[in-house]
Amino acid sequence: MSTEDTTPKGFDGRLFRRIVAHLVPYRRWVALAFVTVMIAAYLGPLRPKLVQVAIDRDIAAGDLEGLFSMVLLMVLVLAGESVLSFVNEYLTQWIGQRAIFDLRARVHRHLMRQPLSFFNRTPIGRLITRVTSDVESLSQVLSAGVITIIGDLMRILFIAWFMFTLNWTLALVTIVVMPLMLWATFWFKGKVEGAYRDTRKQVARLNSFLQEHVTGMRVVQMFNREREELRRFREINDDHRQAHIRTIFYFALFFPAVDIIGSTAVALVIWFGGMRAMDGAVSLGVLIAFIQYARQFFEPIRNLSDQFNVLQSGMAGAERIFALLDKDEAMPEPENPVDLGRPRGEIEFRDVWFAYTPPKTGATEMAVLDNAAPESPEPDWVLRGVSFRASPGQSVAIVGATGAGKSTIINLLLRFYDIQKGSILVDGIDIRDLRLHDLRRHVGLVLQDVFLFSGSVEDNISLSNPAITPDRVRNAAREIGADRFIQRLRDGYAQDVRERGVTLSHGQRQLLSFARALAYDPGILVLDEATSSVDTETEHVIQEALVRLLEGRTSIVIAHRLSTIQHAHQILVMHRGEVRESGTHQELLAAGGMYRRLYELQYREQEAAA
Amino acid sequence: MGPLSNLNSYYWTYRRLFVPGLLCAIASSVFAIIVPGVVRQAVDVIPQMVATYRSFAGTPAAGHIRWFHLQSLIGSGLLILLLSVFSGVFSFLMRQTVVVASRHIEFDLRNRLYEHIQTLSHGFYVRHTTGDLITRSTSDIEQVRRYIGPALMYATRAIVTIVTAITAMFIISPRLTAFALIPMPFLALSVFFLARMVNHRSDALQEQYSRLTSRVQETLSGIRVLKAYAREEAEQDVFEAESAKYRAKSLGLAFVEAAWHPVFVIIVGLSTIIVVWEGGRQVVAGTITLGNIAEYIIYVALMTWPVAAFGYVISMVQRASASMARLQAIFDAKADVADREVTDPSVRSVEGSITFENVTFRYEADRDPVLDAVSFSAPAGSTVGIVGRTGSGKSTLVEMIPRLLEPDSGRVLVDSRDVRTIPLDTLRTAIGYVPQEVFLFSDSIAGNIAFGRMDAPLEDVRKAAEEADLLSNVDEFKDGFETLVGERGITLSGGQKQRTAIARALVREPRILILDDSLSAVDTSTERTILGHLRTHFGKRTIVIVSHRISAVQDADQIVVLDEGRVAELGSHDVLLKRDGLYASMYRKQLLEEEFAALA
Repeated sequence: MSTEDTTPKGFDGRLFRRIVAHLVPYRRWVALAFVTVMIAAYLGPLRPKLVQVAIDRDIAAGDLEGLFSMVLLMVLVLAGESVLSFVNEYLTQWIGQRAIFDLRARVHRHLMRQPLSFFNRTPIGRLITRVTSDVESLSQVLSAGVITIIGDLMRILFIAWFMFTLNWTLALVTIVVMPLMLWATFWFKGKVEGAYRDTRKQVARLNSFLQEHVTGMRVVQMFNREREELRRFREINDDHRQAHIRTIFYFALFFPAVDIIGSTAVALVIWFGGMRAMDGAVSLGVLIAFIQYARQFFEPIRNLSDQFNVLQSGMAGAERIFALLDKDEAMPEPENPVDLGRPRGEIEFRDVWFAYTPPKTGATEMAVLDNAAPESPEPDWVLRGVSFRASPGQSVAIVGATGAGKSTIINLLLRFYDIQKGSILVDGIDIRDLRLHDLRRHVGLVLQDVFLFSGSVEDNISLSNPAITPDRVRNAAREIGADRFIQRLRDGYAQDVRERGVTLSHGQRQLLSFARALAYDPGILVLDEATSSVDTETEHVIQEALVRLLEGRTSIVIAHRLSTIQHAHQILVMHRGEVRESGTHQELLAAGGMYRRLYELQYREQEAAA
Repeated sequence: MGPLSNLNSYYWTYRRLFVPGLLCAIASSVFAIIVPGVVRQAVDVIPQMVATYRSFAGTPAAGHIRWFHLQSLIGSGLLILLLSVFSGVFSFLMRQTVVVASRHIEFDLRNRLYEHIQTLSHGFYVRHTTGDLITRSTSDIEQVRRYIGPALMYATRAIVTIVTAITAMFIISPRLTAFALIPMPFLALSVFFLARMVNHRSDALQEQYSRLTSRVQETLSGIRVLKAYAREEAEQDVFEAESAKYRAKSLGLAFVEAAWHPVFVIIVGLSTIIVVWEGGRQVVAGTITLGNIAEYIIYVALMTWPVAAFGYVISMVQRASASMARLQAIFDAKADVADREVTDPSVRSVEGSITFENVTFRYEADRDPVLDAVSFSAPAGSTVGIVGRTGSGKSTLVEMIPRLLEPDSGRVLVDSRDVRTIPLDTLRTAIGYVPQEVFLFSDSIAGNIAFGRMDAPLEDVRKAAEEADLLSNVDEFKDGFETLVGERGITLSGGQKQRTAIARALVREPRILILDDSLSAVDTSTERTILGHLRTHFGKRTIVIVSHRISAVQDADQIVVLDEGRVAELGSHDVLLKRDGLYASMYRKQLLEEEFAALA
């Protein structure tokens, strides 16, 4: 598979058919576009022919009435061509944009379905490129590409046909310059393509220099590097200028060359046509028509060479898109899913073994574990036979050091990853027998690092879910105690959270995410308590909000605060992927293990603070 | 024209390219415009020759006439070819001068812009996003360039072509000319309006494209939240709605673009038809020849582009004018942190004592002060620790020392001089600053460290790396100090980045070293090593350490405890512990956390 990717890009028939397959839903419109493009391709070259008839038949004979009807016909043909070419151009874009919309939606839907492990190892930038510019590069192939190419070919054929029917020897003489024209065009395309590649590279260099230096300007200024950085900038800017100047050279050469080749055709027509006129084989009208055809010929050739490039870049984009679509890692949905109504909230982990890197493949991209040993045949177990049970309404606090596997428990309960051994049950049902959507709807998640989407405060609480009414948003915010600071924002609930100058503090973000969880009213709540200290006032509000949030819900909390831990119904002390101790606060104290030592430290602090 | 008049001096600078270039433009157009006349002559000669040839048919003279005719036809053909070669050569020279000159001016303009933004400080960068500045220095400058080069060139050619063509046509038949030209103004007008519509719509399309892109970017960054709340379907709907808007805008643009070609076809076609109709009548009436019709058809074809160019040029000038105004806005921004009259240029070196006198600072006038009457003093060679919660003003405070920010009231003194009186260059050269958010350039590790001192030899770079406890890491990399970091190189860990930034500051051998929470991503033992290295300079270097971790500051000569912009406590570790206030409580909390972590 991977070796195929490196083969040079030629015209890949299979790939092309796969691209064109996206037009199938619009085949009627495509057919219409074909008809219009063919007629327009015929009407264009028809006009010089009509001019010829007008000159030779009517003007030569002084027949003004005949001339008038010819002129009328010309106007009709002209109107027809204009309307058809407009309809055709718009129609092809219309078809293309529709097909592109479908494809873009498909790529996006595909991405939405992929599991977290996929996002952990794929750079976001690459995925954005797939959804945006790669799809965009296909749009020209799907819209103009195929239809326009056929239109241009037809136009060349019709021009040739008209010339040959008018006078085949003169036609041959005119066509003599064709190869020259083709050669000049493709030579130019080749050169300009190379020069453009170079320019694009220079533009990219310039942009990344600017990006970097504008972002890091204070470092530049702080280290008095202005002079040196200006020197570097000038260098890059100069390369950029030189690349452009090279491109100018080719253009400066190409435009006159085309004119000269066109004039050669005209000169040939006059010379040869003039001689043939002696024998009465060529009339003046024919000569004038040929002068026009000699000029008309070039346009479709140039268009074709443009289309050729479009097709090439489109194919490259298509290849990347299809490679993405062909590899679906979405979590398997159960064939006969069990319905989960509002859960009672019973959670059970039964001898759960889990490694982020699956046992068989040697994938190395995962950077989740700190002590990952990539070559060991045994997977790097993050959880080693974890078992615990939480009854409905109970709260479970997990304590332990970084890397002990606390966050993994949360990730697994939400089924962000599938476990390798054991089972996880909610209300006695294995979570793999539930629809992902059902499971996650009933399990609320609050993370330490709160991610805010651009948009209003309200949108961030409701996540734009219409089922969560503005009232519900406000009630949730009020209950959590976020209402006060939201009211103080300039636009209240409508405040855009990403607008510059409106920076929400860490504590405020935390409150928003609490409000979000509360608004969704999940039966089960999992929460990663924030470690970093926030200002005293907010800290107090957060503590109270937490109590509200946990009330009446089964909860699993990665706890960092004594108060949270002490009030938990059950405490799990995690160490290196195992549950070392579990029980209530009192039980664990009595056991005199790790927890007791922890507690004693905490107690000392509390006494000191009092 | 307004803002574009600012560019006039550039024309003068490059007059050696512009003057010949525009002369070439004129020559090229003149040669091109002679071609139709030659065609007309040839076409007119043909029937006469044919008639003469026929009347002598069968006589020996016929052969001579045929020969003469052949010669005159070859002559016309060669003349046509020659004229287009001349026109081509001049058009080549024109592009090689005028367009090239526009690239030179673009180069100058961009250098000037970059040089200028280098002098601007914090406030400016808050108002202008990176994207905004990049747009100005790329696409706005490109718009201006198009005005400088291509627009000028098109306009010159258009004027010459149109004036000569119309003159030639008028001499033949004023009436036919008047008729043939009727559609032309409509061409210029429609091109102008179409170009304007295309510009507006493609800007709108571009905007929607960025919205679509940032939507995807955000969705993918927040994918965890979306998945946790099972919002994938809803997000898909939002995306499709944005995508549909993009489609609508694309089609809006496609509509105008689809009109381009028909507009050309219909207007030029109409001119041709008018020529055939009115010209045909005149030929029948005997006032003009058939050759004139051929000539007119070519004139019309020749005039099409110049006339269209007029409309196009006007819209180019409009865009360039808007772009130039945006550039001018940047040029007009004054550097607020710079040497002024109060600066004493005789100050060449800095000893390193630091004093804050009642310093107060607000980021925005109507907000609470970030620093509120902060005062403290550190003698040269001493170490100051600064601690406090997030948002208590620690970073703001240290940014005042190298004048990255300036106080609203109060004074910051270095060596008992107001920092504003010390030349900026001298002040900053004396300071090694490690910012809280480490910023490295996509360069080699050596390049990034030597960023602190350009002439630093490799051994100094090594020494700095060693002091920053980075050396062992660097030696592990395959390319050592030449290892590239950033986009095209390796990704350093947070701790490695911080240590590189520390080495960058150390290589300057600064009198004042500022570490703004620069050890947050390294573990405590590395912290201890680095602080140990720094300690060897005690007495020779003033060190300011901002930290969340007490362990980083507890050995400092004095510790400033900030709380909501005010100095809450001040003193050495022992003194502050005895006070049993904010500092003591922070200290105990951290001890606890350490032990908590040690349990595992």
